[in-house]
Amino acid sequence: MTDNHKQNLSDQDERLAEENAAKKTLASIKRRELAYSKSSQKTSSGPNSDKSTALMSRKDKRKLRSERNAEPKVELSRRTMLRQRELILITIPFVLYGILFYYIPLGGWVMAFQKYKPQDGLLGSQWVGLDVFKHLFSEASFRLVFRNTLAMGIINLILSFVFAIGFALLLNEVRLRAPKRFVQTVSYLPHFLSWIIVVGIVRDMLSVEHGIINQILVGIGIFDKPLNFFSKPNLFWWIVGFSNVWKETGWNSIIYLAAITAINPEMYEAAALDGAGRFGKMWHVTLPGIKPTIFILLLINVGNVLNVGFEVQYLLTNGIVKSVSETIDIWVLYWGIGQGDFSLGTAAGIFKSIVSIILIYLANATAKAAGEERLF
Amino acid sequence: MKKTFTRLMALLIATTMICGLMAACDGIGQKKVKTFDMFIAMPGTELNDGNKAQEEIAKITGVKVKETWLVSQSAEEAIGVMTASKDFPDFIEASDGYQIMVDAGALIAIDEYWDKYPNIKNYLSEEEWNMCRKADGHIYAIPQFGIVNERDVSPIHGDEAWWIQTRVLKWAGYPKVETIDEFFKLIEDYTAANPKHSDGTNVIPYTILCDDWRYFCLENPPLFLSGSPNDGSVIVDPETRKVVDYNTTPIAKMYFNKLNEVFKKGLIDPEFFSQSYDEYIAKISTGRVLGFVDQFWNWGYTAQDAIKAAGLTDCTYVPLGIVAETGIEEQYHNAPVLDVSGGLSITTGCKDIPGAMKFISDLLTQEVLTLRFWGVKDVDYKVDENGMFYRTPEMRASAIDANYKADNLCPYAYFPQYQGMNLDGKNAWRPDNQPSEFFEDLLPEVKECLAAYGAETYVEMLNPSKPNQPWFPMWSFSNDLTTATPGGLAWATMSEVKHEYLPRVVMADDFDAEWTEYLKIYYERCDIDAFLAEMQAEVDRRIAVAEGK
Amino acid sequence: MQNIELQPKTEIMPMKKNRFKKANPADVIFVLINTLILSFTVAITLYPILNTLAVSFNDGLDALRGGIYLWPRVISFKNYETVFNTKNLVIGARNSVLRTAISAVLHLSVTALLSYVLSIKEFVFRKPVSLFFVLTMYVNAGLIPTFLLFRELQLTNSFMVYIVPGIVSAFNLLVLRTYMSSLPDSLRESAQIDGANHLTIFWKIYVPICKPVFATIALFIAVYHWSAWFDNMIYNPRNTNLTTLQYELMKLLSSVTSQTSSGGAYGRGSQPVAVTPNSIRAAATIVTSMPIVILYPFLQRYFITGLTIGGVKE
Repeated sequence: MTDNHKQNLSDQDERLAEENAAKKTLASIKRRELAYSKSSQKTSSGPNSDKSTALMSRKDKRKLRSERNAEPKVELSRRTMLRQRELILITIPFVLYGILFYYIPLGGWVMAFQKYKPQDGLLGSQWVGLDVFKHLFSEASFRLVFRNTLAMGIINLILSFVFAIGFALLLNEVRLRAPKRFVQTVSYLPHFLSWIIVVGIVRDMLSVEHGIINQILVGIGIFDKPLNFFSKPNLFWWIVGFSNVWKETGWNSIIYLAAITAINPEMYEAAALDGAGRFGKMWHVTLPGIKPTIFILLLINVGNVLNVGFEVQYLLTNGIVKSVSETIDIWVLYWGIGQGDFSLGTAAGIFKSIVSIILIYLANATAKAAGEERLF
Repeated sequence: MKKTFTRLMALLIATTMICGLMAACDGIGQKKVKTFDMFIAMPGTELNDGNKAQEEIAKITGVKVKETWLVSQSAEEAIGVMTASKDFPDFIEASDGYQIMVDAGALIAIDEYWDKYPNIKNYLSEEEWNMCRKADGHIYAIPQFGIVNERDVSPIHGDEAWWIQTRVLKWAGYPKVETIDEFFKLIEDYTAANPKHSDGTNVIPYTILCDDWRYFCLENPPLFLSGSPNDGSVIVDPETRKVVDYNTTPIAKMYFNKLNEVFKKGLIDPEFFSQSYDEYIAKISTGRVLGFVDQFWNWGYTAQDAIKAAGLTDCTYVPLGIVAETGIEEQYHNAPVLDVSGGLSITTGCKDIPGAMKFISDLLTQEVLTLRFWGVKDVDYKVDENGMFYRTPEMRASAIDANYKADNLCPYAYFPQYQGMNLDGKNAWRPDNQPSEFFEDLLPEVKECLAAYGAETYVEMLNPSKPNQPWFPMWSFSNDLTTATPGGLAWATMSEVKHEYLPRVVMADDFDAEWTEYLKIYYERCDIDAFLAEMQAEVDRRIAVAEGK
Repeated sequence: MQNIELQPKTEIMPMKKNRFKKANPADVIFVLINTLILSFTVAITLYPILNTLAVSFNDGLDALRGGIYLWPRVISFKNYETVFNTKNLVIGARNSVLRTAISAVLHLSVTALLSYVLSIKEFVFRKPVSLFFVLTMYVNAGLIPTFLLFRELQLTNSFMVYIVPGIVSAFNLLVLRTYMSSLPDSLRESAQIDGANHLTIFWKIYVPICKPVFATIALFIAVYHWSAWFDNMIYNPRNTNLTTLQYELMKLLSSVTSQTSSGGAYGRGSQPVAVTPNSIRAAATIVTSMPIVILYPFLQRYFITGLTIGGVKE
């Protein structure tokens, strides 16, 4: 125990030395800040600025939040622009870059309104108006894969958030550095395995004959005989969801662990003074502390809900569960790419983009109403 | 932090410059040997620089071809990007993207250049060339496969069959097994008498692969059970020359009913419909599976070898030509087919068309053919006093080592070639077709089994191949169908429906009800008539072409 | 399942005012449960890695029979031999290292600067510019239009195609912006009063303080570039000097697959195919994830523990 404690201390020293330079700068700022804050500074800034937030009532917190996240009213006037000319100058190259690399190629979307043939090019292909979209929406099979994609997207979204955040919070509670590092390093490794390897292992574990899950479930008497998990259409989405959790939880938690570092340590001291235990600190300090990050990632991923991919579903499917396993991407691969129909693929892509944009608009508006961190 | 950043920026600038320099130096260092590049829209293996056989071929022809292959992309995608960018290699095997290339006007008409190259012009007969012509009357691709010199000498049956382990046949005293009833009776009796495999697990009497496109193992046996050759998508009646949908014939119903019956008896692997291809190969590799239907190339090159490597010498498989009932003549073994749906092309990106034509022509001389398929004399093969080629065990081992192959062998596999016999009339075109090479490696158990049926090779277990009909094989047409036509759409939908319902039919408690349900959905969702009409039109067209109309 | 167990523990919240007592029984239970959950997590995440490792050291044909768990059955180094014999391995590794290092530094610094600007709440164009980049995450032009653009920009057949297209990623931008907005505005405002310009504030104040999130984003960028091969295949397929490690390994895998599925030579009996796609894939996975596994601890120390400079925040 003492050894570990020493280890902790020396590690801290190392870090202190390393961040010495940064500290110096900050210290001088702090001095100036004090002077500054006398004159103005009423609004608190940053989620961790006020110790007492930890134990404030829900209502108060919400009020504070909406104040904090309220857009400062800035008028678009010549004076403001002149005052912010440096910021504007920095932004211009980025916007040009964005237009060039992200928006100009969108001209390719005209393919969805054509009977596109590579040999005729974008300008020479025959125009067909909305025919491709009509074809898309008239297909019963497309509506089916849309449902599957949405369902798997939502399940994946919820599972991956709950597990990644939960894991980051729990890991953060480990006080000993060595085990903490070890756990984290191990947990993110499955991210580097390709789906084909992961699916191979998932199939092994769920196998009827020698799968460990079946052995356990039969062993403790939940089932009387092994279950063929892949013959049950209602289990398929969950198999995909938990395979995803298995592969990505550690990786997804990295971002939350980084966000936890921004939490002011004084908050924990304050919570301790109020008598909070380990769990209490985690629940009332750490979790609210990473809330802005959680919200941003949630908003981003709500827009990505249709991007559940195709690989894992393709590798896990079979004839019996096909009606629940096919995603939009698989559908496009089969009916679009496989048949050389680029127009259909583009139309499906546009459809996905539009759905995504609607979703993030709704989510962003909700976040705004709730006074939470938002995308734009 | 600042220092690190400055250093990294310096590194960035330095590397950018190095990269620029490297790009600039690319053009320097031309040798006397001409280099062409080639793209093959299939997965394959790149050769290493300084490949021995490639150097030898370059000495004779003055040409080296750098082959690049498809990686993790579909042929249409790769060719689509290529035609959009107009960035073509000299040679191309466009595979499924062939028609896109033709439509894009990206290919050279071979027939406009071939007068000086008799090797090319005489490579196929006039009628065969006619089959290759596109709508404008020109030939844009030279077929590479199925051109047999003298006779086909392959000892391996590479296509579909009912495969059964030699130990099952031996246990029953090598009986005659012809019909599907006899096949399953034998499997059932053997399982009852020998339920355990040598490793202590239960044997798997019969399994069926249903993974993705490989589900043909489940769906196409009715075609073969009817005694038809492997046309793939339909049966063509040789008398009336009319196409028949094999999915709904009485034989199809009988076959699925039989599967349903043996499934209920527990003879079929209960996981058959959900197993992945990898799991299927793993199962066969353990030697536990007694029998199954498959194309040899789908399992043989991995699983059969794994069984041998594990020393389970009585667990390898021999092919059986099973039919629905006695009296039907099986046709599992087909003569090599000339595939005219594509081939080797020269693109408009090629700056030296005569040079390219000369190279193709040179590749068809026996000297180069031997270098391509046998390798370098005394290194990869030896010649005995009678002029027969043979290999030592070390040579055989090298020939399957991936690293050795990349350094030493250069088959230029997607250039035109002669199969069957060498032009010298003595040796086979490739080591694996040479009888001495085959018998050298044959397991005693297999030899005994083959002999019991009066056969020497795997192929002799089946009826000898008949001459191919002019329309054969119809799969070369159905493979190219797209959803742009009603028939093509039906063909794609049929596959969807069958994939979902056929496993259910096999596992149904009430077979008749499930079969009726399947037929109902099948006819409801698929425009079978449109499909058959397009297939019939193609049969008629092929007959007309062959008759020179 | 982790957080389901958390629920019953909420009743510890009614405050007990004995802050001198070190070992709170509720805390002990919490630590115990936490240890259990994390041990379980380690076990199930370590398994796939150990399994892959075992398969990579096992004879390929033998592995086809399945049933390999934590230890190889027939030990063989053939898989690694094949991977290390990959054509152009050295050129590919060099290019991969270069693109990873350059991108990580360049993309991070550029994106961070824009994030800084967009984290300033008073900035007049904050909202439209944010929206402009957010949308880029959800719109995708497709392969052919992008290819045509890159060709016009002379990016095809050049190393720059690995660097230039992804300079600003909206995802990274948003994560950085969120982190920066959670820092006190007074950090910036007081410096502004002292007359510092934005570039100086960004460089002198924000860069040092944002190390944890920079380390995270650098890791994301590095991992992306280290594992990328698709751009290589599409834009630089035939130039050996521009090849990357992952693309060479993809080619190796696809060639092994084609060898085993379509045969090649047969009739060799006791000399079966030497390697199989699965065993090569396992070895390639281990080889390519090694550099990241080695790099990770260096980045990890930035975000594994809280920031000690937190004390000087307000």
